[in-house]
Amino acid sequence: MIERDEHGFDAPAPLGHPGRRGLPPGHSTGPAIGERLPDFVLPDAFGREIDFHRDRGEAKAVVVFFRSAVW
Amino acid sequence: MPKFEAAGVRLYAISYDDKRALREFAEKQSIPFPLLSDVKSEVIRRYGILNDAIDKSDAFLFGIPFPGAYVTDEAGKVVSRFFHQSYKKRDSPEVLLDAALGRIEIDEAAPRATGGESGVRIEAAVHGGRGTIRQGVVRQLVVSFELEPGLHLYTDPVPEGLTATQVRVSGPPGFVTADPILPATKTLRHEGLGVDLETWEGRFEIVVPFHADGRLASETRPLDTETASVEVEVRYQACNEVECLLPRAETLRLEVPLDVVDVPKLGMHNGHGQREGLYDAMPHMRRLFLRKARENPVGILRFAWKNFRMEREARRRLRDQG
Repeated sequence: MIERDEHGFDAPAPLGHPGRRGLPPGHSTGPAIGERLPDFVLPDAFGREIDFHRDRGEAKAVVVFFRSAVW
Repeated sequence: MPKFEAAGVRLYAISYDDKRALREFAEKQSIPFPLLSDVKSEVIRRYGILNDAIDKSDAFLFGIPFPGAYVTDEAGKVVSRFFHQSYKKRDSPEVLLDAALGRIEIDEAAPRATGGESGVRIEAAVHGGRGTIRQGVVRQLVVSFELEPGLHLYTDPVPEGLTATQVRVSGPPGFVTADPILPATKTLRHEGLGVDLETWEGRFEIVVPFHADGRLASETRPLDTETASVEVEVRYQACNEVECLLPRAETLRLEVPLDVVDVPKLGMHNGHGQREGLYDAMPHMRRLFLRKARENPVGILRFAWKNFRMEREARRRLRDQG
């Protein structure tokens, strides 16, 4: 299953598959530059609750949102 | 990721996967930073980045975010955001780290080429992913200039007779570049011409972001070649307060390796794009399927049917194309 999309990318899923839908133009991309990244508490892979701002302390941080580690 | 640790920058990654899947993924792929589990997509929704181009009835996928990244300063304020129209396009971790640090740190081992003369030193290096090319991943061609004290280069616009600095990067079909990122300039008064000109001096970098599309580095078929020949054309004219040297044009050439992905193990369900086939995602897929079936039983059946139908149609299309 190899079909190239309009951006020139290949992926195993067929063209038109909902999994291949991208960010619609003008769609929100969340917190703006200059804004404090909103608080969150989420469990990590080992079940520890991570409170983002407390966990990073005074450190700079990179927060990545990704689709899935499963498929 | 040791680079993040060494720089004191914390890295977190969030998805809608459950803890067990993330744990195995972290262990098998040796991921040292926290993978956070947002199974109900609460944070994803709160951030306003739920992929709502995916319908609720596509139950299996519903809940994923538009992929992207935020970089914060010490106070937790966003200093950069990285989102792209295509989910296949993503930024090299090194580019995220640079955004946090506000400077570029190029790997010692990165492919590079040098040039320049008469007080101007030029080096072109591939930045990110240990200097490799991979479909959709944005790396950078960093052209570093080092000028002897007293010399400067111009940037556009310049009056006739002077040559503005220009960097053009090209490669084989499927090698896609974005507009160059230029450093801050210093304004110099050109007394002879009576105009203010924008200049660079000392050490500075011109950065050309690039990525490969499916023509060059598909992740669904074996690669045609192991490396890509990339050309960096540089035009410039060095001047001091009094006079200018002749304009120069030179071409630096780099052979950039393509990153091998594990094509034989490919398939939507085998963790495509992984370098090693170490991670069997099937049990986690099944669990995800059941979880989504509990949330939306009708949706999951519709999704399964749709998926089956789309794959069948795609096979037919490919067969018809021969």
